[in-house]
Order: sequence, then structure tokens, then C-alpha cells
Amino acid sequence: MSTPTETEIPLRQRVAENPQPALIWAAIGAVLIGVELGAILQVIAAIAGVIINLIPGDPGAAALSSLQESLKTIPTLVSRDFIPNQGYWDGSQWVGTFLGLSPAAAWAVRVVVVYAYAFAVLAWLWNGYKRYRQYYRRVDWTPRDDVVNRFRGHTWGQFGLVITIAFVVMAIFAPALGPTTMEENILQPYDYEVSYWDEETQSVETALVGEANLGSGSQGAGDENVGPMSYDDYGRFHPFGTATNGKDLFTQVVFGARISLTIAVVAMGIAGIIGLSLAMITAYYKGLADLAIVLASDSIQSLPVIMVLILMLVIFQGTWLKDLYDGAVLIILIFSLVYWPFIWRSIRGPAFQVSEQDWIDAAKSFGQTPGQVMRKHMAPYVFSYMLIYASLSLGGIIISVAGLSYLGLGIAPPTPEWGRLIADGQQYVASPSWHISLIPGVLITLVVTGLNAFGDGIRDAIDPQADTGDEAAATGGGA
Amino acid sequence: MSRWQYFLRRVLMSIPVVIFGTTITFALIRLGPLDPVSAILGTQYNPQAAEQIRQNLGLNQPLWSQYFDFMYRLFTFQLGQSWVIAPGTTAYELIQVYAPRTIWLGFWSVLIALFVGIPLGFYAGLHPNTLSDYVASFGGIVWRAMPNFWLAIMLVTALSQTGQWTNGFFTWQTWIVKTNVVTPPALGFFESPLQQFLEDPGGWMNSFIKATKQIAPAALVLGSASMGNEMRIGRTAVLETINSNYVETARAKGVSGRSLVWKHIFRNALIPLVPIITGEAFLLLGGSVFVETVFAINGLGWLFFNAAINGDLPLIGTLMYIFILILVGTNILQDFLYTVIDPRVGYEG
Repeated sequence: MSTPTETEIPLRQRVAENPQPALIWAAIGAVLIGVELGAILQVIAAIAGVIINLIPGDPGAAALSSLQESLKTIPTLVSRDFIPNQGYWDGSQWVGTFLGLSPAAAWAVRVVVVYAYAFAVLAWLWNGYKRYRQYYRRVDWTPRDDVVNRFRGHTWGQFGLVITIAFVVMAIFAPALGPTTMEENILQPYDYEVSYWDEETQSVETALVGEANLGSGSQGAGDENVGPMSYDDYGRFHPFGTATNGKDLFTQVVFGARISLTIAVVAMGIAGIIGLSLAMITAYYKGLADLAIVLASDSIQSLPVIMVLILMLVIFQGTWLKDLYDGAVLIILIFSLVYWPFIWRSIRGPAFQVSEQDWIDAAKSFGQTPGQVMRKHMAPYVFSYMLIYASLSLGGIIISVAGLSYLGLGIAPPTPEWGRLIADGQQYVASPSWHISLIPGVLITLVVTGLNAFGDGIRDAIDPQADTGDEAAATGGGA
Repeated sequence: MSRWQYFLRRVLMSIPVVIFGTTITFALIRLGPLDPVSAILGTQYNPQAAEQIRQNLGLNQPLWSQYFDFMYRLFTFQLGQSWVIAPGTTAYELIQVYAPRTIWLGFWSVLIALFVGIPLGFYAGLHPNTLSDYVASFGGIVWRAMPNFWLAIMLVTALSQTGQWTNGFFTWQTWIVKTNVVTPPALGFFESPLQQFLEDPGGWMNSFIKATKQIAPAALVLGSASMGNEMRIGRTAVLETINSNYVETARAKGVSGRSLVWKHIFRNALIPLVPIITGEAFLLLGGSVFVETVFAINGLGWLFFNAAINGDLPLIGTLMYIFILILVGTNILQDFLYTVIDPRVGYEG
């Protein structure tokens, strides 16, 4: 039997007693973070800028913007400055690209580096967890170990995890992944120039990006099409071809991934918080509180979700809410309002079970407030059920957002969204410009499959005996 | 509590749900920033006309009286008129025109989903961990993950191109009967079907086949999500049933393979499928907006979408009310099926 003192040594002291594994891990981490330090600081500065904008009077805004400028000059490994792919052919060689490679090869190198870096960071985090488990944790075993082990034996869930990570990396590193930038190619194409090799004059010419876009749109016919993995007339490489308006499709796809992921995760997070709080209240107070929320949630669930989304988007079309983040904030709010009853339903049962346990009575008799009991003793036990439901619902939200954008109601242009890309390319599906509609659709299918698989994996890992009866409402479908 | 009491309580519970749902709709269309008067007048807005319309529509009344008026009309099925997309037409007439197409679409979607999804799921469950199981399961999962509207676009293109791709060997448009790929189905044969059938059986059959063929691709797309669900649940249910004790017992007693599958496995595996099948109403109502838009089937989903983007508030209110009734109705039907199929329901309260 272990003495209490033995198990109560703080983590810092346990590390100090056996520092080697922690030091090795920290050293690797320092290298990994070091090569991206500039980018991380930029993100922090950008967030600080947003916060300062909210404060009246903008204190220190000038200092911050000069700091932001100077941060941009710090070289980072995963950036378009370090591995540039936008160059031009000067008649004998490529100028301005990484190591003089062709733009396609330079872009491919950058994509590989981005993903290698992302997976290296994940491997480092995983290694940290294993080191902690092996060297520093007080106990040999916790129930969470079983969850991790079950997930490690779940091939289907791991497949989902890999797809999910690929998608998340795509969203996070969107500016570095695109062959061109959002600003230059999509938002302000007439403010930037592109140099290219003109075959007729046999010299390097320049053109505005906007003009070059006009000349390289994909609108069906053979000479008006820039397909996947090809160069346009201006020597620009397009991994997924161009859209109907000549803007690079891959760049739009990666930024579209960013907005889809943001909406899905934030909406699910808000719905989860509402659902969890209400589940705590109903399970703790029962009776009338429960009945009221049953009625409210049944009523919301009896509304046809897509129809409500359409209606609410139309109603709030002209308001200031619609302008926040190109309409994404409005969509997030609507989704959280519509989805919380489903989450609440899925954790109501477990919450009631927990509320019957002896330790809840014990906590009450110790004089803990209802809030403390709910937070400390009830919420942790239903959290995993919520996680299962949320992970299975993410795909459905991504599909719904794409569907709404397809109808012209979702995200406002020019911010790219996958559903709108599909709508743009709809009339060219049977033409050489098939890629505009096909690629985003295939990607949605892949991502949603991956998210569903990941959700299955989480469910099987957390609760191997989970009832599979309710999942139809949770997963996929619709839209 | 007996299961019939349970069921009765369930029906009573649905009344406040319908009231609450309709109230939410009222709040959205009346309290929201959308102004019905400017939607009606469009670009010809002038204050006098606006005041006139306000007067006529009763928008000057206090909100609570508008609310009771709205609720009273809906619950007595005085469904009101369209203001914008078909001014002067009653909502009832519009629904009469648009609903049959959606019902026709929904009918075939459910049928396709049931007759493809469940057999495939049961097949996969009876042959677990074989190649065909993996193909069926994986196919179902991917099929379910495809966005309806995208699948519809792809199918429309594929069907339109069949003539070119097969070099004229097979053309969807001329196959069996001549139809367009994208078109509202011609449902004229539904009016007094018996009489028409007796007068001209060949012609009636022809228009029936034509309408079925016109709706088939859309129904396949609309049924896709639920098809995948049914397959999955069906597979799990069959696997669970096969491994249960009573099936072992029956097998030990020498029950033949066929009777084992049909009498013992099939019936019990159907129970978890009940909520999936009734839950299809949700998928169909939601997804029909997209599928009807792509396939140009001018049904209820299309009507709702147009009413919404044109700000036709009374029509929206009516359609929402009807959708809520359908969904609550299916929920009650689901519980009813449960109480009939599964005797364990209800005793615990």
C-alpha cells in the first residue's frame, strides 16, 4: 500500500527527479516551435489586434501594427517566403521559385513540408503523452488508457483521424498551402502584378493578376479551360485548375476548408455548452425544469432543420449580423440554436444516471453548491457522450453549410465556400471544366466520411457497448 | 403504466410541441427584421401604399392579437393567402399544386431506400467480414457522406450524357419512354385514377411509368442518406441477433437455415430500424429543397425556398406549420409502431 505522501508529489518535483525524458522532449519541441516561431507570434499579434480593435480609442494600435510588420520579417520554415512557388520563365530558366524548380515542383515541396511539419508536431505531442505516462504519472493505469488503447486498435477510426487531421491542417495552413494567396488572387486581383514569359514577343511581360485571371477562366471549351495540375497562359500553376472566373481553385478550396471547419467546430462547441448546461440543470433539479426543457427541445426538434436554416438566413439577410465574418457568425448562431436539443437529448440519460449516484448525495451533504456539484461531479461523466455525438455531427454541419451556400444563402462572396464552388461549376460538369464542381464535392464526401469514421472510432473507444440506435440522427446525411 | 397509456401520453405531449414550434415560427417571421410590406411592394415602395397594406393585413393590430389570430387560423386550417409569389392564391391551392410532386418524390425515395438499404444491410450482416460485406458497408458509408445536391448534379450530368458516353447504345432520355432528365413529373394520371385506367389502361400505364422514370433519379439521390443509415443499422441489428442466445437455441434445435433467417433473425432485426425509417421524414423534408432545386421538381421544398427568399411570410408560416405537423405525426407513428412491435416499451414509464 502506497503512503499518501508518495502519491502527492507535485508534477514539477517528479520531473526534477528524473529530468532526462522531459528535457529531450522539450528540446525537440523547441526546435519544432522555433522554426515556426515567427508564424506563431504573428497569430498572437493578429489576435491581439482584434482585441485592441474592440477597445474604444485603440490604445497602442500603431505600436502593434509596427510590431506585426516586424514579425513578418522573421523567416519561418512553412511559408511561401521560404519556399516560393510564384515565379516566371525567363526563356532559359525559372526565376523566383524555390531552388529554380518549376512552380509545380516548388508548390509540391511546400505542401509536403507543411504536412510533414504538422505530423511531426502531432508525433511530438503523442510522444509527450507517452513519456508522461511512462515516467511521470502517479498511477500505472487510468480508464483513459483503455480508451486510448481501444482507439489504437481501431483501424477505421484511425483512417478517420488521418483524414480529419489532413483537413484540419488544410484549414490551419491555408495561406501556406495555396499556390497563390487569397489577397492577391481573390480579394484584390487588380492590386498585384504577375510576370510571365510571352511566347510571341519572346520576352518577360507583366500583367495585372485580375487581367491574367480573365484570360485563364475555366468555362467549358478547350481553349477556355485550365484543368487540374496544369499551367495557365501566364505560367501560373493550378493544382486543381481554375474556377469559372480564372481564380485559382486550390486556393479557394483551402480557404473554404477554413471557414467550413470554423463554422462546424464553433457551432458544435456552443451547442455543446448549451446542451451540457441544460442537461446538468435537468438532471440536478429534475421535475418541472426537465419538463420545460423537454418541451422546448421537442419543439425545436420538430422543426425541419434545413427549412429553419433557410428561413433564418433569409430573415437576417440585411442585418449587421450577416456581415460578421461574411455571414459565418450568423450561421454559427443558427446552428447552435438548432442543434443544442439533439446534444441535450443524447446526454440527458447519462446525466440522470450520474445524478442518482451516491457521491452526488455525499457532495451535497458536504455543503457543496449545486453549481459545484454539477461542474465537478456530474459534467465530467457525461462529457464523453457529448463528445461522441458532437464528433458524429460535424460532417452533417459541413454538408449543410455547403448546401446553404449552394442555394446562395450561406457564406457571402468573395469568401470561398465549397458549396458555392459546386454551384459555380454546375453548368460545366459535362464539359472539360468538370473539375470546378467535382473536386469540392469529392472533398466534402471524403471529409465527411473521415469525420464519421473518426466519430465511430471515438464512440467505440469511449464506450464499446454504446447503443448504435440513435446515430442516424447524428451522422451525415441531409442537405 | 400500460403501453397504451404511454402512447396516449405521448400523443398529448405532442400538442404543446406543435404550439411551441408554431410560436417559434411566428416569432421568426413577425419579430424578425424582415418587413413583409416592403417585400410585397418591392421597388415600388411608397408610404401610402405601405400603410394601406399594413391596414389590410392587420399588421397594425397589437402583436398579441396578431399572434392569436395567426394561431387560431392555423389550428382551424384557414391557411391564408400567398402575398408575394402568387398574390391572391390561397396557400391551400398552392399546396394542392405543389405537394403531389413532393409526395411522389418522397414515396419513391422511401421505397428505394427501404428496398435497397435494408436488404443490403441484412446481406452484409449475414455474411460478416467477407469482401462483399466490406464493399457494401464502405459503399454505404461513402454514399451517405455525399452531399445530396452534389450527387444530384452529378447524376443529372451523367444521365444527360448517357447517349454520348455509350455512343448512342443507351440513352436515358429515350429509354422505355421519352422524358427529360430535369423536369417536374407529370402527375395528371393521379386525378381520378380508376376512371382513367378503365378508359385507357395503356395510356394510364404509360403516364405512370413516365412519371416514375422522371422521379427515379431524384428519388435515388433523396433516399441516399437514409439508404446508408438503414444499411448500417440493418447490418448491426442482424449481427447482434445472430449472436443472441435464442438464435443459438433455435439452431441447436435444428431449425432450418431459411426459417432461422426469416422467422428469428429478420423480424427482430427490424426493431432498431423503426426509428430510422420514420426518421426519414426529417431527411426527406430537409433534403427535398436541394434535390427539387437541382432536378427542377417544383414541389413543396422548392415552394418553401421561393417563399422564403421572396419574403412571402404567410405562406412560410403555413408551410412550416404543415412540416411541423408531418414531423410530429411521424414521431407519433414511430412510437405507435414501437408499442405494437416491441412489447417491452412503456412499462418502465
